[in-house]
Amino acid sequence: MIRSSQDVGAGVFLIALAVIALWQGAGLATGTWSQMGPGMLPRTLAIITGLCGIALVVSALMSDGARLERWSLRGPILILGAAVAFGLTVRPLGLAAAGPIAIIISAFASAETRWGETLLFSLVMTGLCLGLFKYALGLPIPVAPWLIGY
Amino acid sequence: MEDLLGNLALGFATAFSVQNLLLCFIGCLVGTLIGVLPGVGPIATIAMLLPLTFKVDPTGALIMLAGIYYGAQYGGSTTAILVNIPGEATSVVTTLDGHQMARQGRAGIALGTAAIASFFAGTVATVIIAALGAPLTKLALLFGPAEYFSLMLLGLAFAVVLARGSVLKAVSMIVVGLLLSTVGLDLETGEERLTFGLQDLSDGVDFAVLAMGIFGFAEILRNLESPETRDVVRGTIGRLLPSATDLKQCVGPVVRGTSIGGLLGILPGNGAVLGPFASYTLEKKLARDPSRFGRGAIEGVAGPESANNAGAQTAFIPLLTLGIPPNAVMALMVGAMTIHGVIPGPQVMTKSPTLFWGMIASMWIGNLMLLIINLPLIGLWVRLLKVPYRLMFPTILLFCCIGIYSINNNPADVLFTAFFGLAGYGLYKFDFEPAPMLLGFVLGKLLEEKFRQALVLSRGSFMTFVERPVSAGLLIIALLIMVVAVLPAIRKSREQAFQE
Amino acid sequence: MTRVLIALAAVFGLTAGGADAQNYPTRPITAIVPFAAGGPTDVVTRIVGEHMAKTLGQQIVVENVAGAGGTTGITRGAQAKPDGYTIMTGHMGTHGAAPALYPNLKYDPTKDFEPIGLAAGTPILIVAKKALPPNNLKEFVAYAKANEKTINQAHAGVGSVSFTTCTLLNSQLGIKPAQVAYRGTGPSLNDLVGGQVDFMCDQIVNLVEQIKAGSIKAYAIAMPERSPALPDVPTTTEAGLPDFQVSAWNAMFAPKGTPREIVAKLNDALDKALDDATTRKRLLDLGGVIPDKNGRTGAYLADFVKAEVARWTPILKATGAVGN
Repeated sequence: MIRSSQDVGAGVFLIALAVIALWQGAGLATGTWSQMGPGMLPRTLAIITGLCGIALVVSALMSDGARLERWSLRGPILILGAAVAFGLTVRPLGLAAAGPIAIIISAFASAETRWGETLLFSLVMTGLCLGLFKYALGLPIPVAPWLIGY
Repeated sequence: MEDLLGNLALGFATAFSVQNLLLCFIGCLVGTLIGVLPGVGPIATIAMLLPLTFKVDPTGALIMLAGIYYGAQYGGSTTAILVNIPGEATSVVTTLDGHQMARQGRAGIALGTAAIASFFAGTVATVIIAALGAPLTKLALLFGPAEYFSLMLLGLAFAVVLARGSVLKAVSMIVVGLLLSTVGLDLETGEERLTFGLQDLSDGVDFAVLAMGIFGFAEILRNLESPETRDVVRGTIGRLLPSATDLKQCVGPVVRGTSIGGLLGILPGNGAVLGPFASYTLEKKLARDPSRFGRGAIEGVAGPESANNAGAQTAFIPLLTLGIPPNAVMALMVGAMTIHGVIPGPQVMTKSPTLFWGMIASMWIGNLMLLIINLPLIGLWVRLLKVPYRLMFPTILLFCCIGIYSINNNPADVLFTAFFGLAGYGLYKFDFEPAPMLLGFVLGKLLEEKFRQALVLSRGSFMTFVERPVSAGLLIIALLIMVVAVLPAIRKSREQAFQE
Repeated sequence: MTRVLIALAAVFGLTAGGADAQNYPTRPITAIVPFAAGGPTDVVTRIVGEHMAKTLGQQIVVENVAGAGGTTGITRGAQAKPDGYTIMTGHMGTHGAAPALYPNLKYDPTKDFEPIGLAAGTPILIVAKKALPPNNLKEFVAYAKANEKTINQAHAGVGSVSFTTCTLLNSQLGIKPAQVAYRGTGPSLNDLVGGQVDFMCDQIVNLVEQIKAGSIKAYAIAMPERSPALPDVPTTTEAGLPDFQVSAWNAMFAPKGTPREIVAKLNDALDKALDDATTRKRLLDLGGVIPDKNGRTGAYLADFVKAEVARWTPILKATGAVGN
C-alpha cells in the first residue's frame, strides 16, 4: 500500500513539525490580516506545512517512490554529541579541554580511527586553534578557567 | 568625468602608500583565511581585530577591515567547493554546483572560476561605487517597506525555481524556512514566538547556526555513512585553472551575477544574501540545459560568486554616501569609523575625500590582491583534500564549533547547531533539499517585517502594495515567475495522468 | 608524590582562591557589551576602555553578547564570577527600562551589581523626515495632534532606546502615532531619510551627521544645554517641552560581590579616562555627554539607577509593551 516509504517519512516529519509549531504558538494573538498579530504568520505557515505533509503522505500512497533508508545511530550520536560536549564544556573548562573532547568523541564515529594518532592530533589541533583564535586574533574564548583562570 | 578621474587619482595615491598597501594585504589575507574556516565569519573577525586598528589612521584601519570583509567572500567559496560546507552565509549557493564539480575532479576549475568571477565582479562594483554611488543611494532610498515586501515575494518565486527535484518538497522546504524565521521575539509587541521558553531563542535562529548545522554537520554525517562517494573527490585533481572554453561559458553568468548582486547589496537589511540565490535561479532558467544545474554546471559557480562579491562591495555604498549601514558588517564599520573620529554620514565624501576615495581605490587593489593570493592557493587546498578523512572531519567539526561560538560568545548556539545538524541529516534521509529552506528563512524575516511595516504605514490598507509603482511592478514579475516555474510541473503531472 | 600534590594545591589556591585585590589586574579584563559591535554603547566602551587599559596596565577585551534588548549580555555579566575580571556596560535600557519591559528578567538592576560609574551618555533628539511640514517643536506638536490619524513614528524595536524614549514623548504630548517597528537603528534611520516614516527619537551618535547634512531635521535635544556637536538645535526646554529630559546614559557595572578595592580601582581608571583629553575629544565629537566629577562615583550611579527604574516603570507599563 505504501509505495514510497521515504515520502511517508517526509510527510510525517512535516506534519509533526506543524503540530509542534501550532502547539507552541497557541497562545499568540492572531489579529486580522490587515492588523497582524504575532501569531498570524506562525499559525498560517504551520498549517501550510501540515498540508504539505499530508500531500506527501497521500502521494506516497499513490505513486511509486524511493524507499526510506535506515538511519545510522553511531554517526549522529557521536558527531552531534561531540558538538554538544564542546558547547557544554567550552565556558567552564575552556577551549584547552573542549577541543580535545570534541575531537576525541567525534573520532569514535569513524571506523578508521587510530587512537594514538587521534589523541596526539587532538592536542596539536587544539594548540593550533588556541594560537590562531585566542592569541593571534584575540577571540574572547575561555582557554582553561580551571587551570589558569581565564 | 574629470572630477571622477581626479578623485580616483587621489584615491589611488592614497591607497598605494606602503602602509595602506600592507594593511590591505593583511586584511585580504586574514579575510581569506577566516572565510575558509567554516563558522568563523567576518563579523566576529572584524570585531576581534578592531582594537588593533587603533594604532593606525582611519583610512588605513578601514582599508584593512574592508579587506577582511570581501576577502571572506573569496575564502568562503573555497570550503563550499571543497568540502560542501559554506564558509559564509553567501557561499551556500556555491556548494550546490561547486562541490559537484569537485566530486568530478574539477575542484581546481571551480576554485579558479570562483576567484576570477569574484575579481571581475569586484572590479565592476568598484567602478559603480566610484561613478554611481550617490545616485544609487537615492534609488535605495526609494525602497520603502511595500517595495521591499514585493521584492522579497519575488525572491520567494525564485526559491521555487531553485529546486532540483519535486516541487512539492521544495515548496514545503520554503515554508519550513519561513516558519523557522518567525522564531524569536515579535517585532511589534515583543512577545516570544515559538521559542519553547528558551531565552537563547528570543533573538531567533541565527542564519550561520542554521547553515552550519544543516550543511556542515549534516555533510559530515553523510560522508561518514558513505565512504565510497567521499573518496571520489580526492581521486583526481585534474586541471588547476579553468580553460578558455570554460571561461567563455561564464561570461554571461558573471555579468548578470554582478548586476544582480551589485544592486541587491545596496538595499538595507541584508539584501546582499539574496544575490547568489537570485543569480543561480536566473542562470538555471536561462541555460539551454537546466538539468545540468546541481550536477556541476560551471555557471552555477560563476554567477553566484560574482553576485556575492559584487554585493559585498556595493554594501559599502550606503555606508560611505549616507552613513547608514545596510547590514551587520557595515554597522561594525560605522563603529570603527566612529571610534577613529570619522563619523559616517552624507558629508564623508566631501569632508574626508582621502578616506572615501582611498577606500574605493583600495577595494579594487584588494580584489586584485585576492586574485593573486587565491589562485596559487588552489593547488594547496586541493592537495589538502588528500588528508585522510578520519583526521579531517574532527578538524572541520572543531572549527565549526569555535566559529559558531564566536558569533555571539554563546555556547547555546553550538548546541542549536548540533540540533540543526540532526535535522539536516533527517532532510537528507527524506530527500528534501536544504537550499530552498535557507532561502525561505532569509526571506521570511524580511517578508514579515516589511509586510507589517507597510500595513502600519498604510493604516491597514492592502492597496499600498499595488498603488506604489515600484512595488506593483515587482509583484507582477513575481507572479510571472511563479507561473513559469509551476507550469512545467503541472504539465508533467497532467501528462503522467494521461499516460496512466 | 606529596610534593607534587602540595605544588598543585598551591597553584590552585592561588588562582582559584579568587581575586588578589592588591595586584589587580594581573590579566586582561573582559568588558561585556550587551549589543552588537559598532553601536553607541560599544563605541563608548571601546573608547573609554582603551584609556582604562593604560591606567590598569592590562588589556580590556570587549565581548559583544547581543540579544533581547541587551538583557542577555547583562544577565551573563551579572552571573559572572565577581573577581573583577568581568565587567559590563549597561545603559538606560538594560538598567532602567528592562524591569518594566521584560517580566522574566533574570537580574535586578538595583541589587545584582556593584556600580562602577557612569561613562558617556548620548542625548536624545527628536528628529523628523525632511519633508515634514513643521519646522520647530511647537509646530510639530500642533501638527502631530492635528494629524493623529496619519502620523507615524519609527523605532528600532521593542526594548530599544528609540522605542522607550519616543514612548515617553508620545505620552507627554498626548498623541498616539502609529509606531512602526524596525530591526535596529540602521533600517529605521534609512526609512526616515527616505521619507517613508515621519519622525523618531534616537541617540545623537546615530543622527548627528544626517542632521548636519540636512537629510533629516531635528526639532530639539532632550538635554539641559545645547550640544556642542549640534549648536543650532534648541533644547526641549527652549522649544517648549521642558518635561522631556532623557539621556541614553551608559555606565559600567561589575557583578555583585566584586571586592571594594577592585571596584575602586576600576572607578579610578574610568575617572581618569573621562579626564583624558583624547578620550574626551572623541566622546564629545560623537555628541556624547561626559558626567562631571560628582556624577562619576559608584554611589551616585547606584542612586541614579534606582531613580531611572522608578521613572521608566510606570510609563512603560502604561503602554502595555512587553519584551519577553
